[in-house]
Amino acid sequence: MTFAVFFILLFLSVPIALVLALTALWYIGTSGNSVLFDSYPQQLFGAIESYGLLAIPLFMLAGELMNEGGLTSRLINLARILVGGFRGGLAYINLVANMMMAAIMGSAASQIAIMSRAMVPAMEKEGYSGSYAAAITSAGGLLSPIIPPSMLFVLFGVLAQIPIAEMFIAGILPGLLMSFLFFIVIALVGLVQQYPKGDWPNKAQRREYLLMGLPAASIPLVIIGGILTGLATPTESAALASLAALLIGKYIYKDLKFSQLPEILRRTALNAGMVIMLISAAGVFGWVVVYEQIPQAAAEWIAEQTSDPFIFMLMVIGVLILVGMVIDGIAALILVVPILLPIAQDQFGISPYQFGVVVCLTLVMGLLTPPVGAGLFIGSSMTGIPPMRIFKSLIPFLCATLATLVLLAAVPELVLALI
Amino acid sequence: MLGFISDRLVRLEMGLAALMAAAVTLLILLNIGSRSLGMAIYWVDELAIYAMVWTTFLATSVALKRRQVVAVTLLVDLLGRGTHAWIQLLCDLMILTFALALLVLCWRWLDPVTFASGGFDIKAFQGDTFNFVYSEKTNTLGVKKIWPWLILPFFSLSLTLHALNNLLGSLKGATCVKGAVQ
Amino acid sequence: RDFRLGLITPPPHRWTQAAEAFAEDVKQKSGGEHSIAVFPSQQLGNEAQMVQQLQTGALDMAFLTVAEISNRVPDFGALYAPYLVDNIDQAAALLKSDAAIELLDQLPAEAGLVGVGYGMAGLRQVMSRDQLESPADLEGKKLRITPFEPIRDFYMATGAAPTPMPLPAVYDALANGQIDAIDMDFDSILIFKFYERSDKMLISNHMMFPMVGVVSGRIWKDLSAEDRELLQTSMRTQLDAVIDHFQALEKEQEMELRGLDITIHEATKEDFADAIAEWETIWSEKAKSLPSLRKAAAEIKGS
Ligand code: NA
Ligand code: NA
Repeated sequence: MTFAVFFILLFLSVPIALVLALTALWYIGTSGNSVLFDSYPQQLFGAIESYGLLAIPLFMLAGELMNEGGLTSRLINLARILVGGFRGGLAYINLVANMMMAAIMGSAASQIAIMSRAMVPAMEKEGYSGSYAAAITSAGGLLSPIIPPSMLFVLFGVLAQIPIAEMFIAGILPGLLMSFLFFIVIALVGLVQQYPKGDWPNKAQRREYLLMGLPAASIPLVIIGGILTGLATPTESAALASLAALLIGKYIYKDLKFSQLPEILRRTALNAGMVIMLISAAGVFGWVVVYEQIPQAAAEWIAEQTSDPFIFMLMVIGVLILVGMVIDGIAALILVVPILLPIAQDQFGISPYQFGVVVCLTLVMGLLTPPVGAGLFIGSSMTGIPPMRIFKSLIPFLCATLATLVLLAAVPELVLALI
Repeated sequence: MLGFISDRLVRLEMGLAALMAAAVTLLILLNIGSRSLGMAIYWVDELAIYAMVWTTFLATSVALKRRQVVAVTLLVDLLGRGTHAWIQLLCDLMILTFALALLVLCWRWLDPVTFASGGFDIKAFQGDTFNFVYSEKTNTLGVKKIWPWLILPFFSLSLTLHALNNLLGSLKGATCVKGAVQ
Repeated sequence: RDFRLGLITPPPHRWTQAAEAFAEDVKQKSGGEHSIAVFPSQQLGNEAQMVQQLQTGALDMAFLTVAEISNRVPDFGALYAPYLVDNIDQAAALLKSDAAIELLDQLPAEAGLVGVGYGMAGLRQVMSRDQLESPADLEGKKLRITPFEPIRDFYMATGAAPTPMPLPAVYDALANGQIDAIDMDFDSILIFKFYERSDKMLISNHMMFPMVGVVSGRIWKDLSAEDRELLQTSMRTQLDAVIDHFQALEKEQEMELRGLDITIHEATKEDFADAIAEWETIWSEKAKSLPSLRKAAAEIKGS
């Protein structure tokens, strides 16, 4: 019945955050634990009272300021010097840039926020379809929590009580494998839909692009430098980037006026608010579901179905994809790991590192699956392309992610070799 | 009248949300600056988090009022225009339901009547009701948690107004369209 | 009845194992009449959220850090008096003493909770990225703590800049120098290998880190006398076992850390004398139970 309520609300085109919040209310009402009503408002607040979520408004603002300040377009021009004439050059640049960002940043949401604002308009201008450009960017964002450092791996390390450095190392091969598969996807898609072929800039243009691009190129340096020197946490580095983008856009490029700031801030508030509200509602929904011990029952059921570790892992992947549709990222990790990890370790002898990488990657995938996918919505709000259109273009990349998952489940060495 | 209040309110909320979004970044810059000068300020992170939470609720209220929301429109797209207005109506009804439910839950949670009738005596209130909401403290800011929490009753009240206003609007829309079809 | 018990530690942690053992024991002793579902890893919310759920009766029981309690009932700050005890054995004895148990009497009125008894984790130590030979080296260091007032006041008094930070953020923050030092126990230092990122250790044993097992006041008042007795006895047994566990483990873990390639110095009460005096001026006002706890501690030390 709860399921029915969920889907009826969903198809009535009720805003998704409220679908979750209302379903949770309904469920409390029917479960007989009406005492949960008294904690409901506080849970709505508490679910988003978290330091990690600050990355969302911070990086969204940085993305806005880079775009409005003309930094983004100059960064892309800079890339044109290197790959401008190649067919599909920007598609590959996008992925490489994402791999590099992933080696610095640890959260898919922040990476998608800043990269979509940077890459998608430029790719559209060159003739790529907007939804495909947004899809590459969002898929690239999935690398962020797999290639170390990673907020999800850190949290998994704490939940599993294993050293975080080893957990990071465990992510290296899977991250490279997934990047490799993404490259193949981009190449294959290129065979089907001929990518636009850009022009090589002439000598005068090259000079101009280089000169004008240099100030904008300081933004990645500000982010990297801020983190590596210990000046800022990865989350805080976005604030440094915003400050730099504001100064460069206003005083060097002169594209940005202070009078634009209120509008930029309004947009940031609206976009960030809608994504975080989803996380709040998903948090409350998850709280009710855990309180009723539904995940616990599901885990016991899975464990009874098989005694083969590989089959078990496949079933876990399947169930977590379903979970990831509604609740993704950190909230889902806290929900499922304490329940599933003891079973995986004790009953199936699976290494916590292998289990951790597979679970984290599966849940990260949920960021890009409807109906609730924070990554999908961030990508959409930063580019103006409807989430479902991005999702359709994402399907090949999600298949590649799924292939990565199955390989990781089948071959533990892919995770354990470097540890 | 309702429309007027709702429109005014939404402008206030949008402005406040933008201000809070700016505050998040400024506070984090303050954090970076003060820490690098060796004068780390203890409470900045917590204040930034509350600014973000306020941004979220204020922006959600604005987005719902303006119907700028993330929703699955599959069915709506499939069905024709005649049903569209009716689905809109149902949808607005659901938003109102949520807003009212949250309003009631906030009322139960904060229990303002009992609190006021006891002369706002926190000790007496929690002795009577076993409700400790007014004595809860923030972790590092050194203020009562009730202050940041106040965004919840505000949000539920404002959303109730917006939702009611939208509902009346779409009620007109639905009956008009129906009339046209007949 | 089906009870729910929440706590913040993950399944492998000793606290969670004690909770599971308690659940098992209650199930057996009640002949299956009662069951307790354990929710580890803050599945139902962080400690503040759990306290709220305990107050409404949505959650029946919890194992909470005394840090969380002391933010509500300042008198519990007394348990964090620096060098209230000198070593883990004294900590274990003090937490089982009447003076400590009497503190729990304040919980129903002040927080809507019924305190059953104490558990603990290991004593607090300091680790740093750079030189740490004595408390004087803490001057100006950005030092991560869990945010609660007694420990903040202590480190402020040493001249350090206490920085609140959630545990998952600590490893990275140490790696990139966002913080210089951490306040931690042997157990966590070993589990998360924090010594890889901060290889100077000050074995200071400066503070206890008690935990308290609680039952929701709302739930408690409706329980029969025999159910109360059952829950109380069984939970106390498991909490005592937690204390015994960390007591036994502390020396082993110290040996293990001393065997690693890290620089270790020691500090005693005398080295922290100024900071302790400053802490005392703040907390002798707020924590009225300090004298009685000190008296109990003195008796333990004397015996
Ligand atoms: Na990363
Ligand atoms: Na999803």
